[in-house]
Amino acid sequence: MGEVVLACEGLKKRYGGLWVLKGIDFEIEKGQTKVIIGPSGSGKSTFLRLMGLLEPPTEGKIYFEGKDVYGSGLDLNMIRAKIGFVFQEPSLFRHLTALGNVKLGPKVVLKMKDDEAERKALEALKTVRLEEWSHHYPAQLSGGQQQRVGIARALAMDPDIILFDEPTASLDIELTWEVIDVMKDLARRGVTMLVVTHELGFAKEVADEILFMDDGRIIESGPPEELLKNPKTPRAREFLRRLIGGV
Amino acid sequence: MEGFLTTVEMTFLGLAGGFALGILSALGDVYGTKLMKVVIAGYVEFFRGSPLIVQLLFFYFSIPALTGLNWDAFTAGAVTLMLNSGAYQKGYFKGAIEAVFKDQLMAAKSLGMTFRQTLRYVVLPQALRIVIPPWTNEYISLGLSTSALIVLGIRELTNISKSIAAQTFRPLEVYLFASAIYFIWITVSMKIFDWIYEKVKIPGLEVNI
Amino acid sequence: MFTLENFLFLLQGVPNTLAISFLSFALGFALGIPTAIVKQFSPYGLGYVADAYISIMRGIPVLVIMLLFHFGMAGIIPMFKSAFLSATFALGLRSGAFQSQIFRGAINSVGRQQMMAATSLGMNRWQAFRYVILPQAFIVALPGLGSEIALLIKDSSYAFVLGVLELTKYSDIVRKATRSFLYPYLIAAILYILITFPVANYLDRLGSRLKTKYGLR
Ligand SMILES: Nc1ncnc2c1ncn2[C@@H]1O[C@H](COP(=O)(O)OP(=O)(O)OP(=O)(O)O)[C@@H](O)[C@H]1O
Ligand SMILES: [Mg+2]
Repeated sequence: MGEVVLACEGLKKRYGGLWVLKGIDFEIEKGQTKVIIGPSGSGKSTFLRLMGLLEPPTEGKIYFEGKDVYGSGLDLNMIRAKIGFVFQEPSLFRHLTALGNVKLGPKVVLKMKDDEAERKALEALKTVRLEEWSHHYPAQLSGGQQQRVGIARALAMDPDIILFDEPTASLDIELTWEVIDVMKDLARRGVTMLVVTHELGFAKEVADEILFMDDGRIIESGPPEELLKNPKTPRAREFLRRLIGGV
Repeated sequence: MEGFLTTVEMTFLGLAGGFALGILSALGDVYGTKLMKVVIAGYVEFFRGSPLIVQLLFFYFSIPALTGLNWDAFTAGAVTLMLNSGAYQKGYFKGAIEAVFKDQLMAAKSLGMTFRQTLRYVVLPQALRIVIPPWTNEYISLGLSTSALIVLGIRELTNISKSIAAQTFRPLEVYLFASAIYFIWITVSMKIFDWIYEKVKIPGLEVNI
Repeated sequence: MFTLENFLFLLQGVPNTLAISFLSFALGFALGIPTAIVKQFSPYGLGYVADAYISIMRGIPVLVIMLLFHFGMAGIIPMFKSAFLSATFALGLRSGAFQSQIFRGAINSVGRQQMMAATSLGMNRWQAFRYVILPQAFIVALPGLGSEIALLIKDSSYAFVLGVLELTKYSDIVRKATRSFLYPYLIAAILYILITFPVANYLDRLGSRLKTKYGLR
């Protein structure tokens, strides 16, 4: 099939005396969307931060387009520029407008000229349906709008993959939909995405695979229909029962 | 060396007087009448908005002129330091009283405490603790500003250094030495205050400063 | 008697007071930002140097530094033959330490999440600092900078001891000349208040306004 964009092997992470990730093997191909679910504290965010090269692993290897990221003296920032990241917490640059936020990366990191970066940014804002909000500051935007600007900020870098860490976890239900709709669009347009989310509707509709994480490991994975309907491990069954029953 | 003692003496006089003035004006500002509040605001603005040197000169020269009272430089200096420090300490106390006041007053009322009891047993013990860190800063800044007393000819550390520098023709060494004394004094005092703060931080204990 | 003429004479001290304060503020700014950066990143373990600089400036009266410069170091550094420059540099040097503290606090208040977001775009530490952290920190620092200017305006009066012809010196001259013991210093005090208040107040209000606008704390 397609080429592997991002992968890892035997990935482990320790904070102090606590092993948060206990050995993860994973890969995602160009154009795929994979969704990670799992209980709180299972290490989902940590896994994503490691794959986004925001923190180094304690053990194991990460490959970006086949190259060992930490093993071959590569410029990490150049790879980070190719991996988009959308955070759960509000993380827009608060002193910049929506446009300023989206423009900054192309300008500073990709060294685009101002008008070129602006064109790129407006295009990205259009994709997330916020072009008419481009001159608003983050404080003047709703949580959902802020998250969409965050997505546009990642998109404007022309990334090879975007990682999402529970982008809707802190949003009201209606705001969740507007963000999820944008993400579905992206998935359908073939953007490679690795998403931590508990929006199972999203997973069902667009995910190629769901990964279930528990206690620092991926203990089960499979196509959405299969994993959601017939989870094999008791932990996943229990988790899904609570997740669906709890709503 | 005697200059250093004068410096320390002046600092403590200023702090102690300022402490009383600070608490009183903070209480006056929080609980007092409109007129009291205006007077206190004027007092604070005057002493915080103008330089200590000008205040020293002003009081030293104007009080005898106004009242016919003759006072020496030392008294004038000490009183001015107190008034000055009181204006700064008022701000800390007010902040601390308000911080405690909001959550605690209701609780005290529900126990049937009178206003004075509430103040004595609830507000002040907590406020005093909160006020220690800013109070340390006030101690440092007042300690250093005692060097302004030189304009009244008071023989504190800076003034003595200046005389010795002039006599010995070795200003560089003399001022470096004075700097070292100030520095050691301030650093050691800061350590002590930090230590006190750690001690009294224990919740439920009353503090005496 | 204290006359209008005396008042106008006294006003002649204001320009020097302003010059000392603003020049030393500029110097303090120029020293404060690099010091804050050195403390933040501690390149080559230089964080200690910044720490030492800050605690020394916190532990010595600015007047003693002025005297040290003017009387102690004029032989080594000719610039310090000028009382005006000695006073300005002493205040500026101290202000650099104070301002670095203000910036440090402001930088810390901007938070980890912003740094992480910048890193995720592929910015290096310097770019993240320059384009993301510093602009926000600067807004947070405005009220603190306002108080710092006010402090400098007031402490510029120490230059009087070196004989610089600033506001306090002029009021002292007027007092001696007129034998009016009340008004010269009182009016000087009021002038100081009139100068400090608007500056500090403006930066404070500007700071709160921008903080609300940008949703900063
Ligand atoms: N920087 C850190 N330092 C120390 N411990 C950490 C750090 N980050 C995460 N942890 C710990 O690692 C464990 C996993 O955290 P992580 O945030 O990856 O879980 P998660 O699956 O994303 O949970 P949630 O669903 O609550 O977001 C937790 O026990 C957490 O306390
Ligand atoms: Mg998480």
